[in-house]
Amino acid sequence: MKIWAIALNTLGTFLRNRLLIVFAVVFVCTLLLFMTPLLGMKALTQAGQAQQAQLMVLNLVSGIMFFVSGTGSLLAAWCAADSVSSELKSGTILAVMARPVKRWEFLLGKYLGVILLMSFYVVMMYGLSWLLAWVGGAQLHSTTWVLFAYPLVRYAIYAAIALALVTLIHPIASMGLVLILAVVALIVEPGGKVMHNHVQYLKVPLWILLPSTSLLSEERFLTITHAALKQATWLEHLTTLAYGLDYALVFLLLAIWSFRYRSLTHD
Amino acid sequence: MTPAISFQGVTKVYRRRLAGQEVPALTQVSFEVGAGEVCAFLGPNGAGKTTSISLLMGFHYPDWGDIRVLGFAPGDVRAKQQIGFVPENFAFYKHLNAEKLLQFHLVLAGLGRSASPGLVRDLISKVRLTGYEKLKIGKYSRGMVQRLGIAQALLNDPQLLLLDEPTSGLDPSGRIEVRTLIHDLKSAGKTIFLSSHILSDVEQICDRAIIINRGRLVRSGSLQELLVAGDQVEIVADQLPAELEPILAAWAASFQRLPGDVRITVNSVHKRELVEKLWAAGCDILSLKTVRGSLEDLYMQLVGNGNSA
Repeated sequence: MKIWAIALNTLGTFLRNRLLIVFAVVFVCTLLLFMTPLLGMKALTQAGQAQQAQLMVLNLVSGIMFFVSGTGSLLAAWCAADSVSSELKSGTILAVMARPVKRWEFLLGKYLGVILLMSFYVVMMYGLSWLLAWVGGAQLHSTTWVLFAYPLVRYAIYAAIALALVTLIHPIASMGLVLILAVVALIVEPGGKVMHNHVQYLKVPLWILLPSTSLLSEERFLTITHAALKQATWLEHLTTLAYGLDYALVFLLLAIWSFRYRSLTHD
Repeated sequence: MTPAISFQGVTKVYRRRLAGQEVPALTQVSFEVGAGEVCAFLGPNGAGKTTSISLLMGFHYPDWGDIRVLGFAPGDVRAKQQIGFVPENFAFYKHLNAEKLLQFHLVLAGLGRSASPGLVRDLISKVRLTGYEKLKIGKYSRGMVQRLGIAQALLNDPQLLLLDEPTSGLDPSGRIEVRTLIHDLKSAGKTIFLSSHILSDVEQICDRAIIINRGRLVRSGSLQELLVAGDQVEIVADQLPAELEPILAAWAASFQRLPGDVRITVNSVHKRELVEKLWAAGCDILSLKTVRGSLEDLYMQLVGNGNSA
């Protein structure tokens, strides 16, 4: 009950956060800009160049969704870091922690608040992917739950990492570190950019250690064309999601452990 | 009987790791506050009052020493269930209104369902915020926020109240109301630990005072003990013969002739001798009492401008 109250309050704070509102407006405007070429491609489809147009739509929608999805990871990290640091900075945490609330309950409440926000984001992303495909005159083929579960687990990971970092270092430093982790994870993923030989041997351990975007990417199971819908077994889904949740859990536990010992005011 | 608050040899040092600086906030501070007492915690800015209260609440950890609150370690939820806390510069979620904030705190206090339905309304009325309960806290004045802070502290009917500058930001009538409220809570047997700079308020409502300066305890005791100057007595006689005046001057005593009596303030070592001389001169002694100093005098004597320990 206490954890849920903290989570809902955190969500309420986010929904009134001016920075987040500005972010949402800029985001929507950018997406509207992308709509124009998609409409052009739809016109190509109608003009009898269906195959070429569909390929272009596929590439564009895939690019947009990569951007939207990637932004979601950073948004999850920023929200998680901000949810704790803003409470410490403003002092609102003192009134909450003066209540019979354990530190782990507070942190878990904050984390759930971020997950709630990211659930809205995922729903929005789902709607957006359908909308983009429809605007481009193509059809989306995937299992619905996959489009919800995979990004949400990925966001859970990034939120947990940021939460763990912000209990130790400044929120801006935390975000910087998360950004570096995300970029490195992208570089080391299989099929990523070819590296110099002397760092090649680091690739596999880094890929295992860092939050893997390729494994947890819903794009593996998403296709715009009819022909190439990728199939995965339940075991594959289960293993991948369990890996992601385990990764998030480890960082959440680290965050709880670290938060247990930190001062709740700016010394 | 378990003291409500116990500090034993508490030391707290703030460290700036990057700058390699160490700032001692508290050094070997020991004191106890008994159950049912109203105790003032006094000291200049930066003396370590807020740090001590933060340690009591479990917001920081001491580097050394032992702290117990209602018999539990600071931060223990069993202690926090019985504590009402008003921090200095209270900060609330500005998007909430008073009603929603108190309901949120009710849930956090574990009283979400068991609390009486009118509790929130009663508390809002008690702190004179009726009519403003739907207004967002972001639009409140500082005094209103402070009153809301007091309301939330009373939410769980606490046994121990920790009030860090509860009257700061309040107008004179607000201060009087808080004073009355503390009186009522005292009558109800609550323990109150109060940090304040308003010494006249403290003098009126507190049983005890603890004074710290630069992180060290400089004096503690009941107000009665602290305010009795000890070495001065006031003797009221019906008259003062002129031949006694040089003797009084020699003893560094002072006197004031009033219509109908004379008030003489003298060091207590000369008390008996002066009374005998007055009697011998045929004067009547109307009263004799120990001179009680003011808390402000004592505070200034012990702390001064905050730079002397």
